[in-house]
Amino acid sequence: MFLSATRLEQGAVEATSAPSERVRGLGRTACAPRRPRSVLAMTGVHKSYRDVSALCGVDLEIEPGEVVALLGANAAGKSTLISIAAALCQPDAGGVWVDGVNMLTHPERGRRSIGVATQETGVYPSLSVRDNLRFFGELVGLRRKMLDDRLQRVAEAFELSAVLDRETQGLSVGEVRRLHTAMIMLGRPPLLLLDEPTTGVDVSTRARMLELVRDLAMDGSAVCYSTHYLMEAEQLGASVAVLHHGHIVARDTVQSLIGSYGRSAIELRFDGPAPQLLDVPGVQRSEATLRLATGRDPAHSVASLFAALGDSIAQLRDVRLIQPNLESVFLALTGQASSSNGERLEVAGDT
Amino acid sequence: MIPRRSIAIARQDWRILRRDPFPVIVPVVLPLLLIPFVKPAFRLGFVAEHIRHTAGAEQAVPAMDVTFAFFLVGNSSMAFFREHAWRTWDRLRASPANNYEIVLGKIVVPLLQAMGQFALLFGLGSLCLGLTVRGSWGSLTAVGAAYSLYLVAMGLAVTALCKTYMQATAITNVGALFIAGLGGALVPHAFLPSWARTLSPAVPSYWTMNGYREAILGYGHPLVSVAVLLAFATVCLVFAALRFRLRDTKIAWA
Repeated sequence: MFLSATRLEQGAVEATSAPSERVRGLGRTACAPRRPRSVLAMTGVHKSYRDVSALCGVDLEIEPGEVVALLGANAAGKSTLISIAAALCQPDAGGVWVDGVNMLTHPERGRRSIGVATQETGVYPSLSVRDNLRFFGELVGLRRKMLDDRLQRVAEAFELSAVLDRETQGLSVGEVRRLHTAMIMLGRPPLLLLDEPTTGVDVSTRARMLELVRDLAMDGSAVCYSTHYLMEAEQLGASVAVLHHGHIVARDTVQSLIGSYGRSAIELRFDGPAPQLLDVPGVQRSEATLRLATGRDPAHSVASLFAALGDSIAQLRDVRLIQPNLESVFLALTGQASSSNGERLEVAGDT
Repeated sequence: MIPRRSIAIARQDWRILRRDPFPVIVPVVLPLLLIPFVKPAFRLGFVAEHIRHTAGAEQAVPAMDVTFAFFLVGNSSMAFFREHAWRTWDRLRASPANNYEIVLGKIVVPLLQAMGQFALLFGLGSLCLGLTVRGSWGSLTAVGAAYSLYLVAMGLAVTALCKTYMQATAITNVGALFIAGLGGALVPHAFLPSWARTLSPAVPSYWTMNGYREAILGYGHPLVSVAVLLAFATVCLVFAALRFRLRDTKIAWA
């Protein structure tokens, strides 16, 4: 099987369905029994760039088979966290262990257990897809037949077989993204660090990437998946770490977070710019939208909002009740709304 | 023994070079075209030094090698800068290859380029351009190898020093002409002004030209020249070791 039997018995992996056939070949073979432990463990990590704090005492652990969606607005510290986990930059304080290896003292040894796909796609444009994959296979020590076999399997899993001999600079954005991620899979690393891997790809490529990540997790890999798209965390069945101004402000499953922080909200859309409602605390305003968390007394919130609209009610086009979801959790935790187009809502008063 | 991951990196650079060999072809073809033009001038240099029975190629071929090989310093730098441009540098650093393996892998292909240029220029010079090696081909190769090593070390030093590839090419282009000129590779050393002749030993091109001349004319073994070139290479390597931070971001195309 593609999934380590030992890990299954230990319950470290919560596989809910079988991985697709495409990823079966990528699996690690069953290894000797060992004590389950975090593949990634970060404790008290601090990092500043001059006088700007990027990470402030971050603690994070990821178990084998677990996908952790790292959520946060721009400059929340997601990429810094991934860079530190991969020993690409040093923290000012704190500790990082990958598969039990201290990344501050033995980064080279730790990197053997990591596959990093950085936010910006990094491929060799003048070379073929095959040569790009081959290089990263050689770097992780694969040779000859094993390299060829693994290369074929990875290309198949990432639907790159048809373009293996094409120059990378002639590929579509989605194909380059898939290649970018596929390049770290040759060595079957126990820890995958994926920094916004679906940025700029179309819907079908995104769905395919998410499916692959799910399957790799079911295969036993620990995945740290940074994203702006909250829906992806739910689609991945990931647990969530919300990063805000360098702090992890929440770390739990999606359902638990919704139970703890989710609030329903009412959203009003206007024909033209939304009015400024300074008298109603907690109203968030974007160009044409007002949003108010309804709390425990929705009727009162709705009434106060409508009362405050005054003449602007004539421009009201749409009223929507938003049920508690990950977005409302994110909103409650960070005071920022995240949407698919990256629009950021202004917040009036206390949220 | 070269570590396996360094070989992988060198092989990847070789694949890139194979896809676009133009930057290597030009520094070989152009000097071959120029040698017939500069031969008479270098012959006059020999006459001025009362050295008879020479065709001029004995100095023209080494001079063109010294001048054009220096442009390979830029190629050596480019091997690093393009990784930044293609966003593959951090991927390389995040791989199991350590810093030493990365740098070692990156200098293999430029070193082979420099040695290849040496072999082609002197080989074709001997076959087609009237170059006669009266001394030892072994000594000649030793000088060529020492100069190639110096060029690669210089490439590392330039990469360590420069933030952008434009800075690196500026140093390489101006440096190539300045160092070649002062070392007697653009005009015969005998024709340089006396102040320039006094300064010449401060540049590696002088020692390379000197070593080539000793090996070609059979004036003994160019041990001192080789030793001085290796010393220059060592200085560059020490500078690079002290200054090069692999985590520094470099800008390739701006």
